[in-house]
Amino acid sequence: MLRKSLCILVLMLCLGLIVAGCPKKTVMKDEPSVTKEEAARIEAQKALERAEAEKAAKEAREKDSAGLKEEEARKALQKEFEKSLTARKQPGIEGEIFESAMLKDVYFDYDRYEIRPQDAEILKDNADLLKRFPKVKVQIEGHCDERGTIEYNLALGERRAGSARDYLLSLGISPDRVSIISYGEERQVDPGHDEEAWSKNRRAHTIIVSK
Amino acid sequence: MLKTPILLILCVSVFLVPAAEARVYLDIDSPAFVQIPIVLPKWKSLEKTPPALGAKIYEIVSNDLSLSGFFKVIDDQNLPPPLHEREGIPRTLFLQEWGPSGGELLLAGEVQLDPGGAYLKLRFHLFDLVEQKHLAGKQYEGALQALRGMVHRMSDEVVYQITGERGVHTTRLAYAVAQDEGKELFIADFDGANAKQITRNRSINLSPAWSPDNKKIAFTSYLRRNPDLYLVDRDGENFRLFSSHAGLNAAPSWSPDGKSIALMMGMEGKSDIYLLDADGNGPRRLTRGHGNEASPTWSPDGKRIAFVSDRSGTPQIYIMSASGSDVRRLTYDGNYNTNPSWSPKGKRIAFCGRAGGRFEIFTIDLDGSGLQRLTSGSGDNESPCWSPDGRYIAFSSNRAGVSKIFTMNANGFNQRPLTRSKGSESSPSWSRRFE
Repeated sequence: MLRKSLCILVLMLCLGLIVAGCPKKTVMKDEPSVTKEEAARIEAQKALERAEAEKAAKEAREKDSAGLKEEEARKALQKEFEKSLTARKQPGIEGEIFESAMLKDVYFDYDRYEIRPQDAEILKDNADLLKRFPKVKVQIEGHCDERGTIEYNLALGERRAGSARDYLLSLGISPDRVSIISYGEERQVDPGHDEEAWSKNRRAHTIIVSK
Repeated sequence: MLKTPILLILCVSVFLVPAAEARVYLDIDSPAFVQIPIVLPKWKSLEKTPPALGAKIYEIVSNDLSLSGFFKVIDDQNLPPPLHEREGIPRTLFLQEWGPSGGELLLAGEVQLDPGGAYLKLRFHLFDLVEQKHLAGKQYEGALQALRGMVHRMSDEVVYQITGERGVHTTRLAYAVAQDEGKELFIADFDGANAKQITRNRSINLSPAWSPDNKKIAFTSYLRRNPDLYLVDRDGENFRLFSSHAGLNAAPSWSPDGKSIALMMGMEGKSDIYLLDADGNGPRRLTRGHGNEASPTWSPDGKRIAFVSDRSGTPQIYIMSASGSDVRRLTYDGNYNTNPSWSPKGKRIAFCGRAGGRFEIFTIDLDGSGLQRLTSGSGDNESPCWSPDGRYIAFSSNRAGVSKIFTMNANGFNQRPLTRSKGSESSPSWSRRFE
């Protein structure tokens, strides 16, 4: 009777060992005991695999987190952009439009309509913003200072708006997203009569016509 | 002669004047001319006509004669006694008693309001005090409401007798007035009276241009968030869209036959001069090249167009045929010449040129010679526009602070503001005579 119980106990111990064993490990069915060297090797193997697993898990977490950060950043930008939008309805001019401080004005030299290097940077930023929000359509307004004659200034304003538009297009913005309009000298932002005021008025200003 | 259905005016020549003998007293094309002193005794109100009516006529005709630039008016207040109390028409026999007045001409008249108070008869006589003879006389009849027009016709007749060409006192000017964030269009008589607003859309309305038949105004408006071309009748009615191509539809100029409009259009990404038919056909492109083209104006024979181009580097005046060929440059002085306006007499072009940092009005012969500066040292003077007889120029000037419409004789003489209103005015356009 005792011998039978002992056999069953040993059997159960062996079973227990097998069941409790690591799934990755090859189950050594017929050798319930290992040598010291082999045990060390197995341990080292285990440690290596653990380290690799941890590394992979860390990378996955970092990737997720970066993706999350990017997603957060995009959402934050979206929020910032939405927040920056001011709706405007001008009496006597059709349509409700939006303005955003994130779409910055560019300026021009007297009687000129070329984009200067410092203004090219601003237009690049504007283009980046437009790329992030591909549904947004804009209208670029060309303006002149109060000097010069009304009708010739309409032509100059048209060129200024056109220059800014051309630059955006060269950065990959689709032409159907950008329209232009010249206001000549009819819309001064600064009513002053000195170069400080005039330089503020010689501008291309971007408004949002649909989002 | 244009018909004006509202007015019932019968011009009756009471005393005949052989027109061939009309002495031309003034050389109005000379750079400076002497004004003829003309005596204006009080206007007589006959029978039961209120004296105020005679006084009103007096005020209008006195102002017209002075406005014409040809006369120095000696009014009743500047006459020595007993002349200052005289009223109405003197007898030719006694013209010598007007010697002490200092006048060379005398214009006198009377008015009779009919008993119903709605119609009147206006009569005048013009005398040469130097030769002591009668020059002309006429009678006008019409509704009381048409009084100003009648008096202006009378002034035109006086100008005709003295210069050989009728005056332009029946004409009107259209112009833009700044309002809030935009500009609205107005029309006023040449003497500044009857200023009427003809657009009421709160938008930016620019560059009014009278049609040659005096019936409508073409202009640019930003109503649809684009500078589009519109038409409106001179009474402000029947406002309609005429051209709305993407980009500019600006600075309209009617051909003298009223069949085409030259304008600035930006369809190719920059401003060029195009032609549109008055019935809507077109547009046809006239200018080519890399420059910015602006402000077309037609020659009176309809064969050529003067315009602004900066193809040489700076804006200058050019002339081309009405089909866009034979382009030649007109202005070489200065580096900013814009706003050309072709005289209805055909021989000179007025324009705005920058000189000494300010904008001044100049005129120049068609061959580029005879450059004459008409304004100087008084603010910025822009947008010149000739009267239909080619003897006056309207323009805008901010010499007194705010920009106002001014008129002057074509030699620069007699510059005066059109209205006394406070608003900022720009871009005058001169109608033809309302006869």
